[in-house]
Amino acid sequence: MATEDARYRQTSQYQLWSFSPTQLAAMRENTNAAARTRIADRLASLPAASSNTSAPTSSVNTPDPEGAATPALPEFLTAPEEAQLMNFNTSELLRAGDHAEMPDEIKATAAAFFRRFYVTNSIMTYPPQQMLIVALFFACKAEGSFISITEFGKQFGKDNPEEILAGEFLLCQGLRFAIDVKHPFRALRGAMMELSTLPDIEARQVPSPLPREYSLTLLFQQRDRLAAAEHRAREILRFSALMTDAYFHYTPSQIMLAALSLADRGLAERLITQTFHYVAPPPLSDNSGVDTPATSGPDALSNNTKKAAAPRSHNNNNNNSGQDKTQMIGSQIRDRVLGTIETCRDLLSKELPERREHWTNKAVIKAQIAPLRKKLTKCHDPDRWNLVELQRVRREQAAKKAGGGGGSDDGEPDDRTLDGDAAVFGEALPVPPKRRKVGAGATGGGAGQGKGDPFGGVL
Amino acid sequence: MAVSPLVAPTSDAAQPSQFARPTSSPFKRQASAVPSSNGNGTPRYPPHARPPAPDAAAVALDPIEQLNEDEKRKYVKGKKLGEGTYANVYLGHVRHDPATLVAIKKIKVQQQYLDGMAPDAVRELKYLRELCHPNIISLLSVFSSKDQNLNLVLEYLPLGDLEMLIRDVDRVRYGAGDIKAWMGMLARAVWFCHDNHVLHRDIKPNNLLIAADGDVKLADFGLARSFADPGRRMTANVITRWYRPPELLFGARHYGGAVDVWSVGMVFAELIIRAPFLAGNTEVEQIALICKQIGTPTEDCWPGVSQLREYTVPADVVPVWGKEAYMGRFGAVGPDGVDLLVRTVALDPKKRITAREMLEHRWWRTDPKPTRKEDLPRKSAGGEEKMGADLKRRNGTVDSDSNNRGAKVARKLDFGQAK
Repeated sequence: MATEDARYRQTSQYQLWSFSPTQLAAMRENTNAAARTRIADRLASLPAASSNTSAPTSSVNTPDPEGAATPALPEFLTAPEEAQLMNFNTSELLRAGDHAEMPDEIKATAAAFFRRFYVTNSIMTYPPQQMLIVALFFACKAEGSFISITEFGKQFGKDNPEEILAGEFLLCQGLRFAIDVKHPFRALRGAMMELSTLPDIEARQVPSPLPREYSLTLLFQQRDRLAAAEHRAREILRFSALMTDAYFHYTPSQIMLAALSLADRGLAERLITQTFHYVAPPPLSDNSGVDTPATSGPDALSNNTKKAAAPRSHNNNNNNSGQDKTQMIGSQIRDRVLGTIETCRDLLSKELPERREHWTNKAVIKAQIAPLRKKLTKCHDPDRWNLVELQRVRREQAAKKAGGGGGSDDGEPDDRTLDGDAAVFGEALPVPPKRRKVGAGATGGGAGQGKGDPFGGVL
Repeated sequence: MAVSPLVAPTSDAAQPSQFARPTSSPFKRQASAVPSSNGNGTPRYPPHARPPAPDAAAVALDPIEQLNEDEKRKYVKGKKLGEGTYANVYLGHVRHDPATLVAIKKIKVQQQYLDGMAPDAVRELKYLRELCHPNIISLLSVFSSKDQNLNLVLEYLPLGDLEMLIRDVDRVRYGAGDIKAWMGMLARAVWFCHDNHVLHRDIKPNNLLIAADGDVKLADFGLARSFADPGRRMTANVITRWYRPPELLFGARHYGGAVDVWSVGMVFAELIIRAPFLAGNTEVEQIALICKQIGTPTEDCWPGVSQLREYTVPADVVPVWGKEAYMGRFGAVGPDGVDLLVRTVALDPKKRITAREMLEHRWWRTDPKPTRKEDLPRKSAGGEEKMGADLKRRNGTVDSDSNNRGAKVARKLDFGQAK
């Protein structure tokens, strides 16, 4: 059976929505550039009067010194400005989810949807304030909670739910129809359960440096280190992990460990060393009888270290299993994991839960967000900003030319070499064979591929 | 377990192809970058992103729309295989390889469901997109058509479904080895779902489609859901009545993979006797049949059962039948086969065999050997229409039905088309 890692690599979250920071930045630049070009073209072709730069009626008849046919183009948002607005709107989304008392999973799924959508769609193209509500609505469905649109709309004071529905399909398309999001919440619970079984966890809080303003008074009083750590880590997962690009760059477990590490570094490291404990035996020479491991003794016979040093007739087998172990739970992996957790931790620490206040701070909004919004009202896409209208037009178009399809073959581009940090997500995937061998390969691996394997193999 | 996927992504570089899946191919471009629409329909790929020349963006397609357009163009839609209220099903093929057939399931915008994309479409999309197994129908691609309908491109399964084979008593003969082969494939599919924390909740013979090479494929994930967190309630109104386990008939709101295992047991029994084993016309009748044929659920054999919301059983208690009682009717699969059957229909879901344990059962290893899939009996005609009919159906009962429990009819079981 497949390891959880192998399973994770099969998810759409990994296959479609995991990127290196460089990749992600390039995609966002690209999206921004494409939107600018299109909106510029569109605005240029619109007659001045109907352009969305507000034209007071009184000035319609006055001569335009610049010439009415070529209205000046607005200033567009840059990619970093879009990112800023996206972060702000993600925090708005989380607030809206809190307001409607949605479960953590739904809010988290909605946040992931929202940020994924705006990887390939510009904030200048589709209105983020509406799309965040759409993301919340669709996240409810994706998490199996099917509530009526009227009911849902009421929670946000929207009497006309049409706007939400109009954006649903758009969102779904922007998500590339991959609507399963893997979260770190259950992983955290599991980690805490695992930690609680370890005998040597100190019961008292030994806090790693925490922000001074964060009060753990109550929890300190309980002197319950695990409970405090879980509480804090969960807060981080509920906010920091969603406000950053963590879901794009890291697996749920990595995010969970990074959050735990921020809450209580000792616990996270304990868990990691507990998992990656394997010490490879020294390579065997021909007369290997002498290097008996120090742990020898009757009960060490079942010990892997001992096995690896067993008589030569078994060497091949045992060496292989030793290598496998080293590869999976050896110290090299441990160090790499620690490194990954550390970078994820750095990322999460940019948006610690205390930053919730930052994003609702009036002064911050006035200084940082309002100017961008103002810019946005001038540079947004005139054709797509109104979702209801857009949907109506599209439906009309579809009705006009029912059928359709066809067209020429599109060339499959093959310049899929990966540069820079893109390589962490593996080489470009080759066109997979028509039949996949999940039973024998991914899922059957490890447990044995023979006929005797009830989980795979040929029946 | 919770910390298992720790390995840094870097370590994947050596062996990603092993895990590549066909489902990924239509989407995988995304992994590299997003194309810019540069006017000629050919997406351009960074890493070194160049903004398109200002005059080149005459085509007003978003990058994502362009991708969708490309996706759509990969397939050619052919004749209609079936038309239903929920979906239309078309035969199609891959544009550059006309020999590769696909089924395109176009989900209709549903008039009666006012809340946007319908639950069954959402569920089907969510789970089929993630589950990738030889015995689960593969979702090759998804695209939207101009009228904003979802189009699911599924692998083409031309040989009908298990129900068709079961019913065609005159022309289709099969034996214990064949049943073992089909059951093996079904058990693997269910195990894979459960191992991925997905409940199918509508297992029955006409959701088990047959591929050209004889593989059985579990289809129709319109009622599927993820395992609920402990304490969270689920609807009891799932699974077509004849295949529905007693705990759901009694209104249990907390349940697990055992519900699917019961359905597997019902399919197993049906394969042997070539008729539905417990075919109740109402829920009450269904419960009565279970009591009569398997035994009455009581506190003795199923501690806690009387606490279930809708627990009612006929007054005359029938003791739970032992293995021997099944031998007469189901003996064709041998004592080991009967042993497996009895374990799948344990009344108490806690005592019911799990999908994993099913696969470890000794029956698979005793004679007769399961038939090789290329030698399995098949029907030569009618499969194409059958796939059309199977896919166009509205998926099983939906949550919203639960408020009219009295009139609740799980779903019409139409045998008319399956002669």
